[in-house]
Amino acid sequence: MEALAKSDFIAKGETAAKPLVLWRPTAKTGLMSWLTTVDHKKIGFLYGISALFFFIFGGFEALLIRVQLAVPNNTFLTSAQYSEMFTMHGTTMIFLVVMPMGAAFFNFIMPLQIGARDVAFPRLNAFSFWTFAVGAVILNLGWFMKDGAPDAGWFGYAPLTTRHFSPTHAIDMWVMGLQLLGVASIAAALNFIVTIINMRAPGMTMMRLPVFTWMTLFTSFLIVLSFPAITIALVEIMMDRLFGTNFFEVSNGGLPILWQHLFWIFGHPEVYILILPAMGIISEILPTFSRKPLFGYPIVVFSGASIGFLGFGVWSHHMFTTGMGTTATAAFALMTMAIAVPTGVKIFNWIGTLWKGHLTMRTPMIFAIGFLWMFMIGGLSGVMHSAAPSDAEQHGSYFIVAHFHYVLIGGSLFALFSGIHYWFPLMFGRRVSEFWGKTSFWFIFIGFNVTFFPMHFLGMEGMPRRTFTYDGDMGWNLGNLTATIGAFILAIGVAIYFVTMIYTFFKGEKTTKDPWDARTLEWSLPNPPPEYNFRVIPTVHARDGWWYEKRHKAEIEKEQAEHAKEDEAHGGIHMPYQSIYPFLASVGIFIGALGVAVIDPANTAQYPGFWGPKVAVTILGGAIMFVSVLLWALEGNDGYHIHLNEDGTIKSEDHHAGH
Amino acid sequence: MSSTAAAGAIDHHHDSTTVTGIPNKKLLMWAFLASDCMFFGCLISTHLIYRLHPPPGTPNARDVFSIELTSFSTFILLMSSLMMALAVNSIQKGNLKSLRWSLLTTILFGLIFLGCQVYEFRNFVFEKHLTITNSILGTTFFTLTGTHGLHVLIGVIWLTIMLLYSFTGRLTEKDAIDVESMGLYWHFVDIVWIVIFTAVYLLEYI
Amino acid sequence: MFSDCTRESGGRFPAAFLYCCTMRLSHITTQFSRFLGVAVALAGTVLLSGCFWLDGPQSTFDPNGPVARRQMDLFYTTCWVSLFIFVVVGAVLAYAMIKFRARGEADEHAEPPEQAHGNPLVEISLIGASVLALVIIAIPTLSGIWYSYDVPVADKADAYEITATGYQWWFKFDYTSETAQTLDASGKTINAPFTTANELVIPAGRPIRIALRTVDVIHSFWIPKLAGKVDMMPNRANHLWLKADKPGYYWGQCAEFCGESHAVMRFRVIALAPMEFNDWVNNQMAPARKVAAVAAADTAKAKAQFADYRTFKRNEAGYSSAFDASPLDGWRAQQVAPASGENPELIQKGRALFAQKTCSSCHTIRGDGYIGVVGPELTHVGARSTIAAGLLENTRDQLHRWIHAPNEVKPGNTMWVAGYLANGIKLTPEDEDALVNYLQSLK
Repeated sequence: MEALAKSDFIAKGETAAKPLVLWRPTAKTGLMSWLTTVDHKKIGFLYGISALFFFIFGGFEALLIRVQLAVPNNTFLTSAQYSEMFTMHGTTMIFLVVMPMGAAFFNFIMPLQIGARDVAFPRLNAFSFWTFAVGAVILNLGWFMKDGAPDAGWFGYAPLTTRHFSPTHAIDMWVMGLQLLGVASIAAALNFIVTIINMRAPGMTMMRLPVFTWMTLFTSFLIVLSFPAITIALVEIMMDRLFGTNFFEVSNGGLPILWQHLFWIFGHPEVYILILPAMGIISEILPTFSRKPLFGYPIVVFSGASIGFLGFGVWSHHMFTTGMGTTATAAFALMTMAIAVPTGVKIFNWIGTLWKGHLTMRTPMIFAIGFLWMFMIGGLSGVMHSAAPSDAEQHGSYFIVAHFHYVLIGGSLFALFSGIHYWFPLMFGRRVSEFWGKTSFWFIFIGFNVTFFPMHFLGMEGMPRRTFTYDGDMGWNLGNLTATIGAFILAIGVAIYFVTMIYTFFKGEKTTKDPWDARTLEWSLPNPPPEYNFRVIPTVHARDGWWYEKRHKAEIEKEQAEHAKEDEAHGGIHMPYQSIYPFLASVGIFIGALGVAVIDPANTAQYPGFWGPKVAVTILGGAIMFVSVLLWALEGNDGYHIHLNEDGTIKSEDHHAGH
Repeated sequence: MSSTAAAGAIDHHHDSTTVTGIPNKKLLMWAFLASDCMFFGCLISTHLIYRLHPPPGTPNARDVFSIELTSFSTFILLMSSLMMALAVNSIQKGNLKSLRWSLLTTILFGLIFLGCQVYEFRNFVFEKHLTITNSILGTTFFTLTGTHGLHVLIGVIWLTIMLLYSFTGRLTEKDAIDVESMGLYWHFVDIVWIVIFTAVYLLEYI
Repeated sequence: MFSDCTRESGGRFPAAFLYCCTMRLSHITTQFSRFLGVAVALAGTVLLSGCFWLDGPQSTFDPNGPVARRQMDLFYTTCWVSLFIFVVVGAVLAYAMIKFRARGEADEHAEPPEQAHGNPLVEISLIGASVLALVIIAIPTLSGIWYSYDVPVADKADAYEITATGYQWWFKFDYTSETAQTLDASGKTINAPFTTANELVIPAGRPIRIALRTVDVIHSFWIPKLAGKVDMMPNRANHLWLKADKPGYYWGQCAEFCGESHAVMRFRVIALAPMEFNDWVNNQMAPARKVAAVAAADTAKAKAQFADYRTFKRNEAGYSSAFDASPLDGWRAQQVAPASGENPELIQKGRALFAQKTCSSCHTIRGDGYIGVVGPELTHVGARSTIAAGLLENTRDQLHRWIHAPNEVKPGNTMWVAGYLANGIKLTPEDEDALVNYLQSLK
């Protein structure tokens, strides 16, 4: 409340110096509105659409993999194509599907949950998205080039990725693409951290934050602290490839094990980056559909924190077979077991949430309960891997493939699908058909289990992962065929899911505000939410803020009317101007990245010194980025004010404030 | 770089209205520096790991380094931090003249540091025959100190732009946070150098 | 194969499935949701069918040595603990799903239940229980880590040392405690450990300590029935130890992605009784076998021989079912030279071609003066049961298939890329015939 009162629009008029007059895009529709948007909801939508696009892409790769493995000694794909498929399937699903899908929810939902009108740095947010898009393009460029797509596996162990063993640009693109995705993720995460810490509505104390917002915060911290490790690893391999340095050059004393350490110091927190948002979504959906608060909120939050914290101390369990020695192996085995405790605690609390609840079995709830079952299996097989000696048999086998698909599909993806169903009415004002939602769930659920459950056995039967072919006499035929059939059932399920979503987007049944009788603040908004989000910044009185509001209507209405008046007195709702510079900066980065990763080094005879197209393009890209960032800084963070009618429509826009 | 406040009524133009009272830009810079710590941490670890596992034929770092020059440039960089602190102090008081002098000195000290580094690199490559490709020491040394040099260079460019901007008349004490977060960055780069100086140079003389 | 399910080693697992299935069936009978019903039917089918695959040649369910057995026992421990947790927690979850489910529209809109926030006592006891469960896993884990790391001190003196080296995409085995006469690079006769490739022959009942090296990228050395994998890392001296309980024929495979032909980088382990092992060692130490010229070799027949080779489709299996049925016998059969049918003239021609076609720049054949070290050593290649890194059965047909078009069996392999392609090697059918005869004669 004090914060509201401090709105300082009045002071703005007295500012003596005028800011630089730069072009301010104002398009509200059309391509330009999307390129210049700073609205967290639009950016979230862009993230979501890209993620779903790449999901289809990565899923298609997975189907090709399964077709190749359906029968022994198959020649559907060549070995080289198969390597590209599994590399890009893994990279795509992790970096271009689950992470951006998480980012979509962070963007769209988190500010609404904390009662903010946008994220702390709206233009930085746009920059994050565009850089992500650019990285995704670079990563996939190889499909359209003769060099082919990256083919060294998603963790690209050196020295297989060095120039000697992978001479084409495929690996350069992988390296560059991941670096850009890292930049995008870090920028986005910094933004979310500041937003959550600094931009909560009055009364929204940390211990009243919705659990999804908490998980956003933890995920963001994990991103900020873990991505540097992979970025440095990628820089080192890039230096090796471009300049002939010796980081992983074995003949000059390079230690490939260093790559593994750097990669997994990132890679293990990354696992939690993929699952914590999912846990957050589940922690929203279960209480809503049980119609009671989350069981043991503080413990769920603290277990999230300890997962994040311990997540930095278990990376070497990905390296149990690298001959680390007994002590290190034992330490990492015990740490890995320890991290199972907070994870288990979450499951207990979710079940506790259902206990004595009033379970409404809507599609989001069905997906969420599916998540509980599948994540339990994935989690338990994870605990099994912490036993290092038996992991020596399972490591790098199909048992691992089964395990992480249970965690990533049964875990992350089920939760994300559940989240899409849950928030769809809020995002688009339409409701997904229960029948088709549940049909898609059953296809996905059955297909998923038929695909991946047999893989546990394939692994125990000694089938290594990343093998493009196998002999017919290994006892793997039935398992592989079953898995392939399952993959197609899963694909049908996903197709139903998508068709249903697209249909609902255009033609779905219109829904009222708060259709699920939910608990958190985002549901206090009309659907879809207006660009300014909250007509009046809410004041939060309890943990499940909206649930409280619904039960104290009169009191809240009075309070809001007061605040609306105050707000209007201070000049209305402040909106940030759109900006083209984040997009242009990303374009610059794209051009620079092309120079580094894709263009051949100059033929020395043709050009003086090191100058050549490669250097020229890189510098051009860098220059575009620099100028864009400069203009971005100089245009300032001004905005305009809008005044609303009683019903929430915009009465007038007030642009003088910005100039 | 300054999209801070553009969001919502409670966080209206002035960072002092954030929930925690910490300006958004400052929080962003702190979080970024935490991330940057990890960047440098990984590079320094790489250097130290390879220092423990030198392949045969690795040159002795002590034969390559000239600790006098590096000590001098370290001192200069430390002094630049002092000037940076003065600059922040000036803008908070709205003293533009003092701000400009402080910024200018910071830039000059930064440039001296970079000059020393360029001299050092040339000296190592051409006189001492330590290149980025010919040994693992060269690889980790040049990558680590080069990355730091890049940070200093970015800082110098940022400072220069801020200095030029101060002549447009648009920089007032209300924008102190912009100078302050730049200062945070500069101090961080300075502190990292002290760590690098210890882990890369001084360690060789123990 | 199915009957093997009940074998001592693999037998415990199916029991687990049955137990699990019964637990789940009880859920159905109590009218639990269709959700669970489908899950049960599904999991049951998959689990039971799983039972049928438990005895493949690389099955870890059938450990044949103490290291693999220790690892498998630990697996069972973790598996039981996990299953127990899954069943208990799953039962509670299923109960909650059924019991607290809203029934009908009206029920959904009824007054919400009590807004309870949790129960610290329940939380703490559950945390305690999970820690306890983990301790059950932790203790055998820790002892297993030390056990599987190196040969137990008591057995150390008895340990037989071998160095295994990974190449893209095959394995070299150096018998460091044996020596044989060979030539060094300058053509001088020296004594050096003898070397073989892709078939690791070990004495059964003795601990084997294998030093793991690589010349290029990371590989991982895995013989599922004998021991879990350990990586072969550049610039890192790894090792593993194993012991085979009894003579036998074991499958192994590279388990870390190492490039285009990773999937076909396989090998075999042949464990022999001590006497037989000694015979094998003695044979390996001998230089390449020469086939004495017999009077009046039938040259007409020799020329026609290549026509016998059948052509293979790209996706055809590398093994006959006869070989699969008793691989160790197959291996033993390879050790003896055929009583008749060898053609000394062709063999002689093949020996010459081996140098002419630059094969000798990569392959060593002791006694014939060939000292290449890039590819597998071939002094006794005819006595191996497999060729092309465990990929093809070592028959005349398959050998012909391999030297005729190596790239079709093993994409991107060095012999094709750096040999055939780079040197423009063309083999006529007669050349191939002679080479096959020569290599087959190297028993």
